Amino acid sequence: MATQPKPVDVGSDYKEKYGFFVPEDYVFKAKRGLNPEIVKEISFMKGEPEWMTKFRLRSLEIFRKKPMPTWGADLSVIDFENIFYYLKASDKQSKSWEELPADIKATYDRLGVPEAERKFLAGVSAQYESEVVYHSLQKELSAKGVIFLDTDSALREHPDLFKEYFGTVIPPADNKFSALNSAVWSGGSFIYVPKGVRVDIPLQAYFRINAENMGQFERTLIICDEGSFVHYIEGCTAPIYTTDSLHSAVVEIIVKKNARCRYTTIQNWSTNVFNLVTKRAMAYADATMEWVDGNLGSQITMKYPSVYLMEPGAKGDVLSIAFAGKGQHQDAGGKMIHVAPNTTSTITSKSISKAGGRTSYRGHIKIYPGANNSKSFVKCDALLLDDNSRSDTYPYNDVDADNVTLGHEATVSKVSDEQLFYLMSRGITRSEAETMIVNGFIEPFTKELPLEYAVELNRLIQLEMEGSVG
Amino acid sequence: MAVTQAPLEDLLFRSEPDWLLDLRQTAFEAYSRLPMPSRTDEEWRRTDFAGLNPSAYFDFEHVLAHDTFAPNLPEGVVAESLPVAAKERRELVEPYLFKQLHAERDRFTALHAALFTGGNFLYVPDGVVIERPIRAESYSKQSGSVVLPHTVIVAGKNSRFNFLDEYIGDDGEGDAYRSGSAEIFVGEGAEVGYVSVQKWGRHAWHFGDQRARVEKDATLKLFSVTLGARFSKNRIEASLVGPGATAELKAIYFASGEQFFDFHTLQDHQVGNTRSDLLFKGALQDTARAVYAGLIRIEKGAARSDAYQANRNLVLSDKAKATSIPMLEIDNNDVRCTHGATVGPVDPNHLFYLRSRGIPEMTAKRMLIQGFFGDVLDRIPFEDARKLVEAELEARIG
Repeated sequence: MATQPKPVDVGSDYKEKYGFFVPEDYVFKAKRGLNPEIVKEISFMKGEPEWMTKFRLRSLEIFRKKPMPTWGADLSVIDFENIFYYLKASDKQSKSWEELPADIKATYDRLGVPEAERKFLAGVSAQYESEVVYHSLQKELSAKGVIFLDTDSALREHPDLFKEYFGTVIPPADNKFSALNSAVWSGGSFIYVPKGVRVDIPLQAYFRINAENMGQFERTLIICDEGSFVHYIEGCTAPIYTTDSLHSAVVEIIVKKNARCRYTTIQNWSTNVFNLVTKRAMAYADATMEWVDGNLGSQITMKYPSVYLMEPGAKGDVLSIAFAGKGQHQDAGGKMIHVAPNTTSTITSKSISKAGGRTSYRGHIKIYPGANNSKSFVKCDALLLDDNSRSDTYPYNDVDADNVTLGHEATVSKVSDEQLFYLMSRGITRSEAETMIVNGFIEPFTKELPLEYAVELNRLIQLEMEGSVG
Repeated sequence: MAVTQAPLEDLLFRSEPDWLLDLRQTAFEAYSRLPMPSRTDEEWRRTDFAGLNPSAYFDFEHVLAHDTFAPNLPEGVVAESLPVAAKERRELVEPYLFKQLHAERDRFTALHAALFTGGNFLYVPDGVVIERPIRAESYSKQSGSVVLPHTVIVAGKNSRFNFLDEYIGDDGEGDAYRSGSAEIFVGEGAEVGYVSVQKWGRHAWHFGDQRARVEKDATLKLFSVTLGARFSKNRIEASLVGPGATAELKAIYFASGEQFFDFHTLQDHQVGNTRSDLLFKGALQDTARAVYAGLIRIEKGAARSDAYQANRNLVLSDKAKATSIPMLEIDNNDVRCTHGATVGPVDPNHLFYLRSRGIPEMTAKRMLIQGFFGDVLDRIPFEDARKLVEAELEARIG
């Protein structure tokens, strides 16, 4: 190559800053870089069937051919040749608690995250203490016929079901990063909910013990059969520390007739991570797909959860918040593709920028010919907390059908002086008042979260807000 | 393009002064060098100009000044056809001509700058107020020809006047290549109303750039009407460069048959305490298509700016298509920015109400379309233009 891009080194000052260093003592590690041999090696190590090996190799070809996106955030610093594409899971989690950066540990303390959970979040321990809880949950799920596994196990244990749906929602050629994920994916969740089954408690990745949880190239596949319901929660409010600088996941969801799926994400990667994720759902007749998507961490996030409304009556919802602090760029939003008539969609986006951070809403509403009587509404609100920060809105609206109602609204503002004055006149300090206003601003999001997450998120916002004034 | 350098000087612009020929030459070099915009460029992704072959048009029509300018203009006002003004008033024209609109921008702008065929120059000195609107017309009824009028308007400090630019063609004429661009310089405290009405023939290709620079405490009220051409691409941009500057950018469009209209707008708040207000409203019939993409940009230091942007599309047929992309880039927190876009049919409740009062469906629909445009028509800055636009619209809704 003529010009060698600079490697990502955003996390390299951790050592100086925190006196912290992650020793490399992995048992098995694929060589640096990306080529067919490494991809074959990954597939071989996992003992995959031949079709998957071929799928990975074909995806690698596509990845090589696809150009880097020229829009959105600046990705030119990513050096694909300087990344380890596969680390054997059990070894990856053998770090010790003491090695974690001090600020991450301190945040866990202040958030009040339980010890066991902290270790899990930090990637330190694969052993979740409450094995009893885990087993009873697994028993309950399998009694209903629900399959909930990590994606690698699902490929081994349910090969036919897996092959039927895998890669059908997001083909490798969709974009450069879906191609990369398709070539080197590892881990993620696989969920199958049979016809008419409602899963009452939200499913979360950390119910699966001894599995790869938050891999660099995780791959999630959720199938909601007719009339079923499931709520899946990915991530957590506490910051997730990883030494990987690139996180590129693919999430595929199929929501069949009358089914409903809710997918909640709270992304809080440490601020050295490039988070480039493709998430898409297909919603069939009268089905409902809801993305609840919160982006707090990472250096750069580019993520636009989308719903393809394939049959009449399908409904799509995206509720998205983004918080960008110093050095962060959150380029998030949503896409709604109306293919069939009488489909409805809404996107609500709330973004907050502070201390030089940048949030961008990027969205696409496409209403295809024939998708008559469809309705779509998009609302974006941005809050700028100081004059160093930036907010952008890039909504693309294409209407090619008759009798369609489409609306888009956006506002950008600062914390209003009147609100501040009112709160401060009641004896509340300026920083408390600002925190209250910000928490109020994102309330439509927090109220959709399970209680413990909402509490943690509010506390997290409070932490992020501290010191933001003055 | 079949035009080479030789005819450029010898045939077309023989009588022009050297400095202008140099300007044309530089622009022509840019035209030769720049590639055709590609469908992978963000600005052109939704703009389909397949079928356009600029080299097919090389019959240049010169549209020179005629009796359109208001007579009895106050002393010091210069109102001339652009080529005449360039020859006789170099000191006035040169500092402004193609100073906002750069030939390097893309191939079509370069072509316009290299080969503009007339247009008008208006200079209004400081403090001069002109009550009667100034009217300019560019017209052509010739198929296969090229007409590229260019307007330069310079408003001195605290001057006040209105200007109407009309581009007139005949629907019966065949394929043709047209542009119509304007550069508007609004000096400190000045107040300028500018209305452009594009009604080229239905087979013409149209590329227009309207660009304004608004100084301290000045106000621009721009109103753009697009009715003609099979393909029309318009860029409407205002830079607010002094505190207290205001730009109102309003437009209406009515597309029917196979017409394709494309609008790109920019509200560029370079300094604080500036205001911009944009409203683009259009109705689409038959298999017509419209693309609106607009950006509000608030620069870092531009505190206490107030910007509004809205695009409303009324879709009257199931084959018509509308794309709306209202964008914001906000680099300062002490601002008020709101934008919105809607695409929708005639409200069935409104239609039902009118029908229930015994009004036939067609009439009711027409009333609702007129109502849709009503609030924006009221914003046309002067009476003459308002009447003209209402009449044109009426004829098309009919």
